[in-house]
Amino acid sequence: MTSTFAIDLEKISHTANIAIVVLCGLFGLAGYFVSFYFHFLTVAFFLLVLLNLFWRHGQTSHTLLANFGFLAQIRYLVESIGPEFRQYLFASDTEESPFNRVERAEVYRKAKGIDSTAAFGSLLAFDRTEIKLRHSFYPVDTDQLEPFDVAVGAARGLDTTYHIRRPIMISAMSYGALGENAVRALARGAKLAGALMNTGEGGHPKYHLMEGCDLIFQMGTAKFGVRTEDGRLDESKLAVLAANNQVKMIEIKLSQGAKPGKGGLLPKEKITAEIAELRGVPMGQDVLSPAHHVECVDAASTVEFIGRIQRVSGLPTGIKFCLGRPNEFRTLVQEMERQDTVPDFITVDGGEGGTGAAPKSFMDDLGLPLFEALPVVHRILRDEGVRDRFVVFASGKLISPGKQLKALSFGADVAYSARGFLLALGCIQALQCNRNTCPVGITTHQKQLQTGLDIEDKARRVANYIEALHHDHVELLAALGRSSARLLCEENLYLPVQAPASPLGEEPS
Amino acid sequence: MTHPNLTRIAQGVVALLLFFAATQKFIGEPGTVEVFVGLDMEPTGRYVIAVIELMAALLILSPFAALGSVIAVSVMCGALIAHVTHLGLVVNNDGGMLVCMLVVVLLCAAYVLVSRRKEIPLVGDTFS
Ligand SMILES: Cc1cc2nc3c(=O)[nH]c(=O)nc-3n(C[C@H](O)[C@H](O)[C@H](O)COP(=O)(O)O)c2cc1C
Repeated sequence: MTSTFAIDLEKISHTANIAIVVLCGLFGLAGYFVSFYFHFLTVAFFLLVLLNLFWRHGQTSHTLLANFGFLAQIRYLVESIGPEFRQYLFASDTEESPFNRVERAEVYRKAKGIDSTAAFGSLLAFDRTEIKLRHSFYPVDTDQLEPFDVAVGAARGLDTTYHIRRPIMISAMSYGALGENAVRALARGAKLAGALMNTGEGGHPKYHLMEGCDLIFQMGTAKFGVRTEDGRLDESKLAVLAANNQVKMIEIKLSQGAKPGKGGLLPKEKITAEIAELRGVPMGQDVLSPAHHVECVDAASTVEFIGRIQRVSGLPTGIKFCLGRPNEFRTLVQEMERQDTVPDFITVDGGEGGTGAAPKSFMDDLGLPLFEALPVVHRILRDEGVRDRFVVFASGKLISPGKQLKALSFGADVAYSARGFLLALGCIQALQCNRNTCPVGITTHQKQLQTGLDIEDKARRVANYIEALHHDHVELLAALGRSSARLLCEENLYLPVQAPASPLGEEPS
Repeated sequence: MTHPNLTRIAQGVVALLLFFAATQKFIGEPGTVEVFVGLDMEPTGRYVIAVIELMAALLILSPFAALGSVIAVSVMCGALIAHVTHLGLVVNNDGGMLVCMLVVVLLCAAYVLVSRRKEIPLVGDTFS
């Protein structure tokens, strides 16, 4: 005889469906003979029985409900509160994605300006699966370090050359993906800390400009803000924008880590009259940007387009992409040399990058992770002998000083973060950026949700976060024995034997 | 199937009649007292029901109208049971006025319930 203990769901639910009818009757009798108060229950069960009848026999769109009745709905309710339940009760501190509690807590503490030392020991596993930084026997004194200074545009000798003096910048997030208060708090924080902020592809950066910080204007594939009716570049609009003295650089977005090969997406729930106007699009439907700039169809046309933007804007101009095929990138670089047109910077976005909204498979399955793409980009630039002509920005979960230094060691010059700054604004990782229901008022346009986001208070936190990151950057650099961030290299990295980094990102040639 | 304006009118009717019924119970109008004596629920039950009716009346005018209508339907079902099992259809020689009113509220509340079924907490999703 086999003795398996299994829960027969069908039997249980069948019994339950009968039980509620019986209970309803029993309560009815009790209400009649014992006390009228029992009829509270009679009525409740009566309505439940009616509802259950409808679920089982009156509808066909929910199979579980039709087959099992109300227990299926209880299962659904329990499941729907699962994420919150797990987050609050069961998830361990190093378990959640994309950022676990340990990582988030560090950002929160930095933003609030609270001491971020920890006690007793690291919570991470030390089992040779993680990339670590290699320090030196001979740390440099922090007052011997060169101040952080990366000049963008210097290679071309531009008189609009911009000096970046903070090792971290606010990565592209459009007004549209973010609400007004969030944009203004970030911009004001950037101003306070003297950091650079990217506008994202949301068209004319009205709210970004309001706070007086230095900006990188991002031109998305739909060119919101600088487009003609048919989606081509409107040079006069770009020239006007570039003449604004808050706009310091132009970033041409080729692709983005969260959805490489797909244009930006703004769900219709989040399109207000103002956003429609700033972007020049209709309301009531999702706004989909094309997958690529109409002008860019191959290496030659892409480089030409970059040159054109450089000429029209007169500003340091770069491209942002998520790496797919290294050989394509090599061809692009060779084409740049042939045309003698190099962008002033390159932003490498890791496939793990964030987004306001993207199809799930694009988020999960496309694009090289940052630490695989960066070394490849770095090597190709070096092989081609042009590394000095570019500044490389890197983004992709670089929310802690350690990860930022790893990125710099892999070949980047400045770190970029988007979600780090959302956390600094109070993001609780509710994962609702695409629904206009962000509970902390960041990625929503609902007034009542935004009222909780006090611009002044949160701007201070953003500035604190930048300052704390810079502070830690200096300390770590000193421990690594480097007197300048420029001297960081792969020698500063411990790569586990089977680390995903190094040759995996390379394409067979 | 349902019309938003009709729904709003129905919400108004339910709120008005429930509000009226609740105040009568609160001030202890003799007719209502007699009803609750008949149910052996005087005076606690009278206040409990009054509070529930008041709550339903307020909710049905708020963004939580669907929830309000569920409560209103429930209370009216209870009242119907009371009349059928204990009180009879004619109470205090009112010629069935009370029961008529009750049926009006029940129908209106049911109408609201049906037209706003997708907004009912916890189960609304299953109607789409
Ligand atoms: C809410 C949100 C909106 C974003 N909007 C843009 C955008 O408009 N353009 C763009 O190139 N990247 C956009 N990104 C991607 C970020 O700029 C960045 O590349 C990516 O999130 C990686 O950085 P992180 O891991 O520090 O967040 C967005 C990201 C988020 C979270």
